[in-house]
Amino acid sequence: MSRARFLLKRGLQGIFVVWGVVTVVFLLRFITPGDPVALIAPLDASPELRQQIAANLGLDRPLYVQYFDYVGGLFVGDMGYSYVAGTSVSNRVFARLPATIELAAAATVVAIVLSIPLGVISATRRGEPADYAATVFSLGGISTPNFWLGIMLVLVLSVQFGLFPTSRRAIGFVPALELLAAGNPLGLLAWLEYITLPAITLGTYFTALVTRLTRSGMLDELGKTYVRAARAKGLPETLVRYKHALRNTLIPVITVLGLQFGTLIGGAVITEAVFAWPGLGTLVINSINARDWPLIQGCLIVIGTSFVLVNIVVDALYAYVNPQVVYD
Amino acid sequence: MTDSQEQSSVTRRKYLTLAGGAAATAGLAGCTGEEAPTPEPTEGGGDTETETDMDTETETPTDEEFGVTITQGNLDSGLDPHDHRETTTDIIVMQMYEGALDRNREGGVVEALATDYERIEDGRVRLFIREGVTFHNGDELTPADVAFSYNRIVNEDVGGLASPQSDQLAGVESAEVVDGERAVDVLSGSVNPTVFGLLATYGDIVQQSWIEERETAEINSSANGTGPFQLDTYTADESVTYTKYEDYWDEPAAVDTITMNAATESSTRVNQLVSGETDITVNVPPQEVSRVRNEESTRIEAVPSTRVIYNAMRYDVEPFDSLEFRRAMNYAIDLESIIENVLSGFADATSQPTLQGFVGYNSDLDIYPYDVEQAESLVEESGYAGAEIELHTPVGRYLRDVEIAQAVAGYIDELSNVSCSVRQRDFPTLAGELTTGSIEDKPPFYLIGWGNATFDASQTLIPLLTTNGALSSWSNDEFDSLMDQSQDESDPDARDQLMQDANALANDQAPWIFLNRQYSVYGASNRIDWQARRDESIKAYEIEPAN
Repeated sequence: MSRARFLLKRGLQGIFVVWGVVTVVFLLRFITPGDPVALIAPLDASPELRQQIAANLGLDRPLYVQYFDYVGGLFVGDMGYSYVAGTSVSNRVFARLPATIELAAAATVVAIVLSIPLGVISATRRGEPADYAATVFSLGGISTPNFWLGIMLVLVLSVQFGLFPTSRRAIGFVPALELLAAGNPLGLLAWLEYITLPAITLGTYFTALVTRLTRSGMLDELGKTYVRAARAKGLPETLVRYKHALRNTLIPVITVLGLQFGTLIGGAVITEAVFAWPGLGTLVINSINARDWPLIQGCLIVIGTSFVLVNIVVDALYAYVNPQVVYD
Repeated sequence: MTDSQEQSSVTRRKYLTLAGGAAATAGLAGCTGEEAPTPEPTEGGGDTETETDMDTETETPTDEEFGVTITQGNLDSGLDPHDHRETTTDIIVMQMYEGALDRNREGGVVEALATDYERIEDGRVRLFIREGVTFHNGDELTPADVAFSYNRIVNEDVGGLASPQSDQLAGVESAEVVDGERAVDVLSGSVNPTVFGLLATYGDIVQQSWIEERETAEINSSANGTGPFQLDTYTADESVTYTKYEDYWDEPAAVDTITMNAATESSTRVNQLVSGETDITVNVPPQEVSRVRNEESTRIEAVPSTRVIYNAMRYDVEPFDSLEFRRAMNYAIDLESIIENVLSGFADATSQPTLQGFVGYNSDLDIYPYDVEQAESLVEESGYAGAEIELHTPVGRYLRDVEIAQAVAGYIDELSNVSCSVRQRDFPTLAGELTTGSIEDKPPFYLIGWGNATFDASQTLIPLLTTNGALSSWSNDEFDSLMDQSQDESDPDARDQLMQDANALANDQAPWIFLNRQYSVYGASNRIDWQARRDESIKAYEIEPAN
């Protein structure tokens, strides 16, 4: 199967997955308890006012009509209107998406920068103090809950020492770059200042996971015959380790990095809440608390679609990195 | 950190925040592939985020500028002052919009955009509109704007909005400009004795032409009021910033700029406060109070709110159809202990549905004492010894609601002849059962809270305790009669007495377990001089620099 045909096939599968997500998320609204009108209307609202609210929201129409309207709207990028604010769901969700992607990307960068060197050091100095330290770090990172780590980082580094702001996002990455291009570095500094703690919080588990993966991968590769052959040939040790063994180790690592990036887009809810980060996570929490179903649907569809897209890209990348992969 | 260091840090951070806010629009436009909108001068007073000056150098706050940051749990659901019912949105909007009447800190009615008000006849009151008031776009306020504003709230055919606030102006049917006078008549279908109180709490004044010329989305993302602050930038779900309106009809505000933001997590809000990133934070939970108090730069501002928490008992089902049993439930609980231990003292015990300070409050009524023997004896008298009851409670809707419910159920369960458990409910589901209009749909025994910002007992007693009340679980002919009379009574003293009698009857008949008056607990920075208000509003106009 050609690469193009493979990607087309995965794309079609992805469309079905997204359609499934849309349908399940849409139906969830009707099987979960709680009438959105009861939450929106004041407690003493008259039955007439309740009926009026239901009619304004389109909730008095048959279920299938609501479903086809909704799916039809999605084709033109219309996710409906928020029950609570009456504003366009698409606008609100896509306004939040950059913050979440930035955070997920920053966490991934933290993970890459820390985990691969740590994993390599740990593997190449097996049984030495550096290996133990890296192992303890990765075990701790995997065992530490996000919310606890985030709160501790804020209490120590922000509240106690005032090194970082406690929460919020001062500026987006793109505007920060634009300011930098205009000769003003303060925007980028502000971006870094605000994203550092959330990125560390979100990236720690990821870092620990990839450290362990890199370590075990490296150990596995270093024990293989081609490494012994390379050493026997007299290649310098750094070349053996970093050009041959590490390169092969990175293939599964890249796969995990890609998949984890997809998870981070949907999994930053707690981190975003702790840091009042204005991304999809906080929007999901607020919309669930408000039973704002159109907004919940919009967030979940975007998160689900992102995950599908990332998976397709990872599949393509995996095949690109490893030519031995056969498209089927 | 020294004061100067702290000030420097805050200034720098605010500078960075401003820089970020200014650039955010361009970034978003870049991400969505849209061209960044060109800043245009606004006709209305409110700029949106897209109109922020990108030249951050000019945005740098000067040392003389007094900026204040306020952190809520959530931000607004849109800036249309007539299209919301939540306090969080109210607080965002009230900095820019104001009513003809207002309330002072004690809850009394005071003039705002009206210079005087009087009752002309039953069902007709007159407001005399202040001269020299301008909207933020520079246009002068007219009586027609005032009449339009009220009509937009109560009549869905006016102003393109079916306002969810229509029943907040209960009884008001329309408003009209008085010929030959700078005045507006507000018309009600009956005496409407509380109309001035309602107009002092609700009914923000908007400019008719400004509203009519705009689409809903624009009204919700920009603003043009007459208030002491005008909108500077608006980033939905992220922040709202304001600047002082220099042409305000009253004394200009002491605050130059306001930034409103939100953090869902209470610990995040408290962290912002103790780090000097915000000046006021709402809803500090009891477990965080000591942290705020222990900081030199912050303090707790707690004030009794207008919200009462109670356990309703349905009068038509066993065992709550027994007066003795209902009274027994009140004797069974140690309310003082609940307030001290569950609410850390941030609550007042109640003896009646109406809160102290409200019109109709009866100061002669005593709180039910904690008396286990009396409770057990009354249960025996009721004939319901051995009853098993279940207390339904929402989760996280009110301050420590589940913990209060568990404490109440624990005390009742300790009685030798009653067992009680707690059933935690999802609020929308519980609210759905409470608001069907039929008493049979309500749980027999439930915890709920009720806020009444009108400072008038009728707005609690009628919806919660009259037979046809939207949320009532009780029916008593004498009580209904007292409230009917009070609504037709135009003499304030006589009306007050009627409602006091209704409260005494409620205390005697015990349709509720009378619990607590909830407190509003804020954290505040010591760099500002500000006191919390009972009506849960935060008016930045009242903030001044601390001496």
